[in-house]
Amino acid sequence: MITLVVALAVGAALFGIGLYGALSQTNLVMIMMGVEVMLGGAMVNLVAFWRFLHPEVFSGQMFVLVVMTVMALEMAVGFGIGTSRFRSVGSVEMEEARELKG
Amino acid sequence: MTVQTVLQTFFLAFFGLAAIWFAVVVFRTSSMVRSALALLFSQTAIGAMFLAMQAEFLGVLQIMMMATEMAIMAIFMVMYMMDPGGLGEMDMTHQKRLSQVAGVVGAVAALVVAFFAGWGPVAGSAPGAFEQTRLLGLEIMERSMLIFETAGVTILTAMIAATATAIAVREVRKRGEGE
Repeated sequence: MITLVVALAVGAALFGIGLYGALSQTNLVMIMMGVEVMLGGAMVNLVAFWRFLHPEVFSGQMFVLVVMTVMALEMAVGFGIGTSRFRSVGSVEMEEARELKG
Repeated sequence: MTVQTVLQTFFLAFFGLAAIWFAVVVFRTSSMVRSALALLFSQTAIGAMFLAMQAEFLGVLQIMMMATEMAIMAIFMVMYMMDPGGLGEMDMTHQKRLSQVAGVVGAVAALVVAFFAGWGPVAGSAPGAFEQTRLLGLEIMERSMLIFETAGVTILTAMIAATATAIAVREVRKRGEGE
């Protein structure tokens, strides 16, 4: 049981650090880094649940593959928006992107 | 507690602390390249945790994917940042107090659940690496086929959307309107 709790505690800490990063940073790339850390924490939890609770069911590992896909997609779309902002405004600072509110 | 469990707990805690430490460094350093490298080390430590939990396929996949992803991220950061080397000591943060409170509350809530939830009996062993990969392949190709296909289509959509967003907008001038 202690091994499971250690893994879940690491996941919780990573989630908290990522949340702090995503909320506190003003730069688009740094915000994406915060989201990546949060997703990393979620993946640690998923693998821990698979390994220590249901190693015979592989939907847990499948879920991790989906999270990895989400990480790659978030990067691709984020950098697409970043490139567009940099071309039009010359900066990826999100405090200068208030017009994106709509 | 067997020797294997002790070793597994030790390596999980070791790589977990490394992942947490490098995740903190990501937001503490002013240099963008250091920040990207710290995130790479954090994600690699997470991959090592997967290996410690006997998820060999996912561990290797995580390390390979993150090495590529962070290398690309470092290039973009140097391209887009006003002060990529961090020599100007620019402050690129806002609403710090709120963010700290949100981060601590999120982590503490997850920790409370981790420590006090009744997780039931813990499994002693996992299938071997070869068997795991075979069973994951069967899971993908049978029960989770629809999810896997959806992920594939989503990747294609995101690729098109990212490319379309990043392409420079050029004004289409009508013939005869000059340069």
